[in-house]
Amino acid sequence: MTEDVSEKADMQDKDPIISVNSLTKVYKGETKPAVDAISFEIKEGEVYGLLGPNGAGKTTTINMLTTRLSSTAGQALVAGIDINKHSMNIRKIIGVVPQDMTADEDLSGLENLILVSQFYDIPKKIAMERAEKLLAMVDLIEAAGKQVREYSGGMRKRLELIIGLINEPKVLFLDEPTLGLDVQTRAVMWDYIKTLRKDFNMTIILTSHYLEEIDALADMVSIVDHGKIIITGSPAELKASLKGDIVTLGFQNDQDAEQLKRYHGVLEVLPSLPGTLKIRLENADSELPALMNYVFEKGITLKTLSVQKPSLDEVFLRYTGRSLREEAPADRFKTMINTRRMRRT
Amino acid sequence: MSGVWPLMLRDLKKWYRNPVFFFTGLIQPFFWIALFGSALSKLSSIPGVIPAGSTYITYIVGGVLTITALFTGMFTGTNIIFDRRLGPMGRFLSSPITRSSIVFSRVFSAILRILVQSVILVVAALLLPNGLIIPHDFSILDGLVIVVAIILVSLIFSCMFSVIAIRMREMNTIFGIVNLVNLPLLFMSYAMFPTDLMAGWIGDVAKYNPVSWSAEAIRSVILNGSLTAAQWGDVGLWLGGLAIIAGLMMGLTYLMAETEIRD
Repeated sequence: MTEDVSEKADMQDKDPIISVNSLTKVYKGETKPAVDAISFEIKEGEVYGLLGPNGAGKTTTINMLTTRLSSTAGQALVAGIDINKHSMNIRKIIGVVPQDMTADEDLSGLENLILVSQFYDIPKKIAMERAEKLLAMVDLIEAAGKQVREYSGGMRKRLELIIGLINEPKVLFLDEPTLGLDVQTRAVMWDYIKTLRKDFNMTIILTSHYLEEIDALADMVSIVDHGKIIITGSPAELKASLKGDIVTLGFQNDQDAEQLKRYHGVLEVLPSLPGTLKIRLENADSELPALMNYVFEKGITLKTLSVQKPSLDEVFLRYTGRSLREEAPADRFKTMINTRRMRRT
Repeated sequence: MSGVWPLMLRDLKKWYRNPVFFFTGLIQPFFWIALFGSALSKLSSIPGVIPAGSTYITYIVGGVLTITALFTGMFTGTNIIFDRRLGPMGRFLSSPITRSSIVFSRVFSAILRILVQSVILVVAALLLPNGLIIPHDFSILDGLVIVVAIILVSLIFSCMFSVIAIRMREMNTIFGIVNLVNLPLLFMSYAMFPTDLMAGWIGDVAKYNPVSWSAEAIRSVILNGSLTAAQWGDVGLWLGGLAIIAGLMMGLTYLMAETEIRD
């Protein structure tokens, strides 16, 4: 798919390939829902991001949509199929790349692909052809015959991605596809995901707690927190909704801060560290010279000055009241195992 | 059940590719027969216990075959927990295969492994001095009784321990349960000793232990060769009892796997 305007307009008219209505999950023995009556729609060919901290309910949502987990209430249709009624039919047409490693370490990469192809009753010959193409796509041809235990973290993630593609799915679910990967490997994964979107017009649902990942890949994003969708829009829309840039000024005297707050262009004063002031301006590029003049007029001595353009991090902070980056990783056995595997590069 | 066959092949592949796992599994029944056969061989001198001209090893082969099936079967559950903890379970659950095929593939591959072990065990018993003596009128039907008994015992215990493992995360829990029940199942049965040598109450319990039924059915055809009508009646009763329990266990496994299995 191209970034063509007419194509975009085309997309608007299409029926949603996924529609979720008040979907809820309450785990056994808990009172607080993990996913709390969320609703959203995804159009065919779209890359849809679910952004939120650990425990926000992203993976639970994905697990319900991929029929790995039953829902407590609400409905969801994937390609027109009800997740609560015809789970087997959904599993046939979707691809899943879960957060955890799922490949069998004792088998080779190719054997893992063929094993999964058998779950879909794909004839051996076709499965071999597809496997070869996929292995070539993610540059794993040479490692195809090796046991997965010998793979590095990045190789494993690439294998997981193509295992999710062996049935040529209509909808691909990617749960934290680059969790724990180094920056370079992450960029490679992003390229593969972009290729899938462009060459196969695949609908992709992506969860992540990396803002830059959602920013780089997603057409639409829902910010999820405490099991609820806080806001939905394209990354550009969400950033635009913040109105303005953040300017952080470091000064010597505390009374200078009071002076600076009185500058006419200040839209909002944000919480900041002592000795600094964080203000929001409509457009830093055009207003900074005026602000500088004001600073000289009032005889304020600045120690530091920085300008921050709106990012999804700001969006997250704005709508949830906290920073996504403060989140510590979930403490689970699998996370530990996966992290240990990742280090083996 | 489209997942049963590929998953079973995977399980067997993991078995024969792991040389330690493969060979210990094959050597273990040999140890059983050699060590038990020697340690308790004096039993054969007690009159009335073992028919004249036979050996203690001939007497316990049925028991050892049953115990091999019991032990290998009990460890089927641990593989399900491994799949859950190492990740493959997540893949199986989001694939278009029935939940029960995830469990039954393990059960069936356990049965196949048990049958391979059984063949080796019988060959070992034949080769040992004072070993297994097969009666001259031993027929294919007798051989079938042995195979059926082994398959039924394997089904019962691999299904039972799979059901236990279906929602379990902790490996130690299932090891604990295996260690707790294996000795009572073994020693409160006719697997190793005749009833006459048992404390009265243990003998009573052993009567209702499926391990006894399998051991006795195999023992009956191995010691006697061609059976009388009355002996066939007993064998039929034992195998029938095993078949009923195996059927119940398979039904329970199916229901539990379809509804309760989790990531």
